[in-house]
Amino acid sequence: MIKKHILWLLTAFACSQAAAAETGVALKADQLRADTFSDAKVVGSVNKNDAVEILNKKGAWLQIKSAGKTGWVRLLTVKRNNTGGNNVAGVVGVATGRSGTGKVVSTTGIRGLSAEDLKTAQFNEAETKKLESYTVNADDAKQFASNGGLSSRSYPYFTGSAQ
Amino acid sequence: MNKTLKQAIALALCSSLAWGTASALDLKGVLKDAVNEQLGTGSKTEPTPANNDTQSNASAQDKLANINWKNPSREDEIAVGRNVTGTILGAAPLVNDAQLQQYVNKIGRWVASQSERADLPWHFGVIDSNDVNAFAAPGGYVLITKGLYLRLTSEAQLAGVLGHEIAHVVQKHHLKVMQKQALLDAGTSFLKDKISKNKLTQRAVSTGAEISARNLDKSAEFEADSMGTVLAARAGYEAYGLAEVLQDMETINNNDGSVALLFQTHPHPDDRLAQLSLVSGDQMDKISGGKTLENRLVKLK
Repeated sequence: MIKKHILWLLTAFACSQAAAAETGVALKADQLRADTFSDAKVVGSVNKNDAVEILNKKGAWLQIKSAGKTGWVRLLTVKRNNTGGNNVAGVVGVATGRSGTGKVVSTTGIRGLSAEDLKTAQFNEAETKKLESYTVNADDAKQFASNGGLSSRSYPYFTGSAQ
Repeated sequence: MNKTLKQAIALALCSSLAWGTASALDLKGVLKDAVNEQLGTGSKTEPTPANNDTQSNASAQDKLANINWKNPSREDEIAVGRNVTGTILGAAPLVNDAQLQQYVNKIGRWVASQSERADLPWHFGVIDSNDVNAFAAPGGYVLITKGLYLRLTSEAQLAGVLGHEIAHVVQKHHLKVMQKQALLDAGTSFLKDKISKNKLTQRAVSTGAEISARNLDKSAEFEADSMGTVLAARAGYEAYGLAEVLQDMETINNNDGSVALLFQTHPHPDDRLAQLSLVSGDQMDKISGGKTLENRLVKLK
């Protein structure tokens, strides 16, 4: 009897996991591609505000499913829903300032470098000098970039308007 | 000194309220006069504190004591940034790994060379903290935590993160907040007692360290994401490096203490990605052929 119950619970859990696929919404119209490069074959498209299912991630690409079509888009095309690990909405709200205060009132878990640590810290001359000792000049940096096959390119800053 | 610091912290904590008061006073012209009196002539003869141990300390203190907060020079900005950075290093020292530190300086310096302030003496460092965060201070100082560095999987991602911090310096986001604080203090002190210019600077600098623990305007963070992405692309990297890091940050549980300060001082990564998407529009698609250089990313010892 107990075993049966456990089996039931396990089945229910497995189903809920399967149902909780990651979802999102398209931030802009874009083409779905067969692979993770920008000239890969177009296999479909999404419109702005379309609901999508996120199936996979690879570098700066997301594999999504929308209106029955599956394909890859750049990660900035989709805003993911329910991000942040195992959060309940309230926690996300606090961390993002959406709860209205814009401040984290309290956090659980191990504290890292806290606001208090930075407020009470004392200037450290030795570490500052050490930091400055690692300074690299522009020419050496350019040489290192060139060794990696990097060269300077001219692109303007983005000009789209924020929300 | 301790008292001054405590006062500065208390002041910084209620600064948004205080700024409201300041602008009200400003309208009456009172603050303006006081500020002019305290800072306008830029008295260079003010004595420096006598308790300095070394000459270099004395000269650093001297620089700090004579900062023109109304219109800071490049040297003023660097002196302030050095102090803010040294204070953060007081909370978390550098990772003891010369190869790593030099590598990060090479990448940072190359990305900074693509900016409008390539002439600054840029300094980059990885600090020994498991927190996931990065800091910028005026004059070209940039720190990234070990906790964030360990999450990176390519040089393009590092370039994107450093690009974000470089953008803060280029746009003087932190300096502007510190200036407001110093000018406010100058005005307030006129209404009570005169305080020395050195004390003004102490307050502003301690605000500077605190700003690293506090939020800039959300718009300043979004601007740094947008500019940082372009700076990394100009340096020859794949343009999505910073976006990938933000996407990775989305996966960290908000309850994790290592992101407490980051999420306290920055908009949530999904908002940042959405803004970056809006602001970049189709301009991102026109950037092609960038490198990711996964294999060149230096591993921590």
